[in-house]
Parts: sequence; structure tokens; C-alpha cells
Amino acid sequence: MTGTRLTRWVVAIPMALLALATVYPLVFTANVAMKTRREYVLDRFSPAGSLSFDNVVRAWTSVGMSRYFLNSVVVVTCSVALLLLLGSMAGFVLARLRFRGSSVLFLGVLAALFIPFQVIMVPLARIMADTGLLDTYPGLVLAYVAQFLPFTIFLLTSYYSTVPAEIVDAARIDGNSVYGVYWRIMLPIGTPALLSVGVLNALFCWNDVLISLLVMPSAEHRTLMVGVTSLRGQYSDDIPTFASGVLIAAVPVLLVYLFLQRQIADGVTAGSTKG
Amino acid sequence: MTAPSLSPAGPATTGPARPVPRPMRRRRGGLRSERLAPLVLLAPAVLVIVGLRLWPLVLGINFSFTGDGDRDGQAVGFDNYLTLLGDPLFRTALRNVGLLVLLLPVAVAVPGLLATFIYLKVPGHRVHRGVYFFPAVLSPVIVGAIFTLLLAFDGPVNALLGLAGLGPVDWLGDPDVAIFAVVGVHVWATFGMGLVVFLAGFATLDRSLLDAAEVDGASLAQRIRHVVVPGLSRTIQFVFVTTMIGLLTSMFGLVYVMTSGGPEGSTYLPEYYVWIQQGQFGQPALASAASTALFLIMLVVGLAQVAVLRRSGRED
Repeated sequence: MTGTRLTRWVVAIPMALLALATVYPLVFTANVAMKTRREYVLDRFSPAGSLSFDNVVRAWTSVGMSRYFLNSVVVVTCSVALLLLLGSMAGFVLARLRFRGSSVLFLGVLAALFIPFQVIMVPLARIMADTGLLDTYPGLVLAYVAQFLPFTIFLLTSYYSTVPAEIVDAARIDGNSVYGVYWRIMLPIGTPALLSVGVLNALFCWNDVLISLLVMPSAEHRTLMVGVTSLRGQYSDDIPTFASGVLIAAVPVLLVYLFLQRQIADGVTAGSTKG
Repeated sequence: MTAPSLSPAGPATTGPARPVPRPMRRRRGGLRSERLAPLVLLAPAVLVIVGLRLWPLVLGINFSFTGDGDRDGQAVGFDNYLTLLGDPLFRTALRNVGLLVLLLPVAVAVPGLLATFIYLKVPGHRVHRGVYFFPAVLSPVIVGAIFTLLLAFDGPVNALLGLAGLGPVDWLGDPDVAIFAVVGVHVWATFGMGLVVFLAGFATLDRSLLDAAEVDGASLAQRIRHVVVPGLSRTIQFVFVTTMIGLLTSMFGLVYVMTSGGPEGSTYLPEYYVWIQQGQFGQPALASAASTALFLIMLVVGLAQVAVLRRSGRED
């Protein structure tokens, strides 16, 4: 018994160090963002002399981060709204309605889940160019919807499958059409699942750089993550401003994480244990 | 941070919570709009998936057998694939994939072990779960940007090495070191993902089995080997597959920000190669061939894994 307790403490110390190593990089970056250039060059580890947001303000106003930020917000909002709408409609049908070919369609969605973006990026760029969607907001929104829809449908289908049949039957007897059942019963009942998959999709879209680079290449359309990558070259001699840009991109995600940890974990773990 | 789910659910094989799929056909015959409703609701999703995922896949494979530049649109057979095999950059990319596959067990074992300790209520276990997971929600771009600062020659990591009396390492500038630095950062950023999945698996584990093993005098290692591993075989399989997909497809942001494929092309991965050939060198057909190769690699590695894990699962 004491042996076990000893083992626990032997393990606990490296684990605490690891936790420190997980947090420290962000603390370091935040500290650098608060420093003046002079302070940074003299000593990069000491705490910033004063809590100054000058760099953050500069990154926000003159470096163009506000523009990129707005681009990201617009694209992510539209993508998530569309994902939830299309995903819940399809999920409801696949989970609840039987018709000829429904299981084939479900298998098609499953198959699409396993196509990595890297495999289709070249032809996708060509399709976007041919249809005039390249370098437009709708183009990027569509690209995100296409990328994350299979996962969204899959999760919502499993969720809607667990809704008791009696609820649906009762709604039908009350005279609801199929659309009524979807709109009045399934959407409200699915709120926890929608929240979970919505947050996850928002993170995926917000954090993406590859799809955005490919579909919205021009400077004024840059999303926030592409903006961060462009900072690197431009501000290699002004590390505090660079760190501020990174911080601006990270803070929304950290806030979402702080408040919606549970939902994120639920989405990530869906399907991981016994079916 | 895509997390494809693998559990069979939905209409193909219904879960236990749904005894008999009851078709919603209460009103006999029904209106025409009622009969069409499922198709109307499904149509947008199906259009998007077929048009922007399945169709590009077919197009891409087809594309990989055509030429670039002067030979645009002409059938060239396996020329692109031969070009790939002769390209030192692509060979480096493949070698790096090999490295990733070798490191895969480590990338799974780390979160697995940590989750085990958290489950066994190591001191501080309440805090660890949340802290370990948080880098997983950050974009690879942000993580990469942060680590270019940390791994700079005069950065904190080398300062720490200096305290330990070791010389500084040129983490991102030394061709022999850079790929390990990038993969290391990826593992740092994503082990929390596997950890959370493992913890969800533990939640389904029968606690009394572990207690019984402890009473019987089994050591910690024995309990992990004989109780935890067999009980979590499905979760372990899930983490293996998702971690592999993560290693092969979500490191673009890191490579792009941290090394841009350098130094001397040593941090090339197939996905980065595809992007460069498509975007910088204007060789979409060659890029498509590299894409198709990446897809095949993922299929082979994935199937091999499932086969191996299934066999080891059966022995227990």
C-alpha cells in the first residue's frame, strides 16, 4: 500500500512539470507581447516592466489583424451556421426516416469522413476556380462546410438515433409534417449535440490555415491564421508585435475553451468507446 | 484537429437505444410533399459532399495520370509517380512519414499512460486533465509561432539546457534535428486529445476489476498490462487511428510556420509537398499524384494497424 502511494508521488512530480511545460509557452508569449522591443532584446525572460498593451494595439490597428480577425469571424460564423443546418437536416433523415437508398447514403457520408483534405485540395482549387468561387467568402465557407459536414452528420445521426421513437410518433399524431417534426422536435431536442458539434466546428474553422491559404489567397481576404503566418516574415525583428498578433489569434480560442471545455471533450470523444 | 469517429451508428447498425426503426408513415399514403421530405432535407448535404469531396477525389486520381505544363490534359500514365520517386524532396517526405509511423506508438503511449495515472487519482489529477488538453484546441499556426520563439537559438529552451550545463541546440536550423523538433511540438500540442479520449474510455471500465487486481497484489504495471489494456482495446484502437491521421494530415500549419520545409528540405511531409507543387511550382498534376500517394499510404497504414490491433485483441 505504501509502495503504491510512493509510486503515485514519483509519478505526480513529472506530471506537474509536464503541466507547467504545457502552460509556460503561452505565458512566455503573453509576457513577450507586453514588453517593449528594448526590454525584449535585453532580457526575454524577466516579467514585463509594466502591463502595456501598446504592442497588442499596434498589431490590432496598423498590422491589419483587425481586418483578418473580422474575416475569420464572418467566415466561421457562416460556416458553422450552415454546417449545423445541413448537418441536422441530414442527420435527422438518416437517423429517423427509412427510404430506398438511405443506408447507401449513410455509407457515402462515412466514406467521405475518411478523405483527408490534402488528397482533394488540388482538384478542389480547380473546381473553385472554374465556378468563380476562388478567393471569395462563399467559396471558403463552402470549402469548410464540405470539409466538416461528414463529421457533423455522423455525430448528429448518432445523437438523433437515441431520441425515443415515442416522442416522434406523438408529434406525428399531433399532426406535424416531417418538416414540423424536424423543426419543432428534433432541432430543440438536439441542442446539446448541436452545441458540441458547433463549438468543435468553430474551432476547426478558426484554427485552419491550409484550406484558407488555398481558397482565399489574396491579402485583403486573409483569415486570422493566415495573417499570423504572414506576421512572421514581416515582423521578424519586432518580436513583441509578432507575439501580440499570436495572442490576438489565441485569446478567442482560450475563452471558448475555458467556458465550453465539456462540449469540446464530448465532441472529441464521440465514438471512442464501445459503440 | 479533425476527430473522425469510428463507431458504427445510425441507420446501418442502430444503437441499443433504438429498438426498431419505426418509419414515420402514420398518415396513409401521405401528401406528395411528405414523401419527398426526406430527399429535400438530405439534398443540400448530399450535393455538398458529392460535389466538393467525392467528386474531387475522383478528379484528383484521374488528374494524377495527366501531365503538367506543355502536356496539360494529356494522359501520361505513371510518369508523375516516376517523377515523384525520383524527387529527393518527395523521398525525404516519405522518409519522414516512416519516422512518424515509428513514433506513433510513443504518441499513443504518452496520453495513455498519463490518462491511466489521472484515472488512478495521482495527486493533482483534477487539474491535469484540463491543463493537458488546452494546447489541443490551439491552431497549429499559433503553436508553431509560439515555438519559433521558444526554440530560437537564444530562446527559453536553450536557456534551460544552459542551466543544465548543456550546449545550445539549433532546433530549427539543423537538418538532423529540425524534423524531431517539429514532430515533438506536434506531440506536445496534441497529446491532450488522446488523453481525453482515453479518459472517456476509462469511464466505461469496470472499476471493481482494478480493485480486485489490487487486492490480489498486482503491481501497477501488471494492472495496466492485464486489466486496463484489454478493457480499453477499442479506445486504444481509436486513438491509434486518430493519432495517425493527425500525424499525417494536420502538421501542415506547424511545418509552414516553423520551418517552411527547411533546413535543406529536411522537414518536408507529403502534405507540404502537395501544397508547394500546387501553389509555388504550378504543377497540379504532380501534386495530385503526391496526394494520391498520401491517400494510399494512409489506407495501407490504417488497415495494417486495424489488422495488428485486432489480432492482439483476440489473444487477450
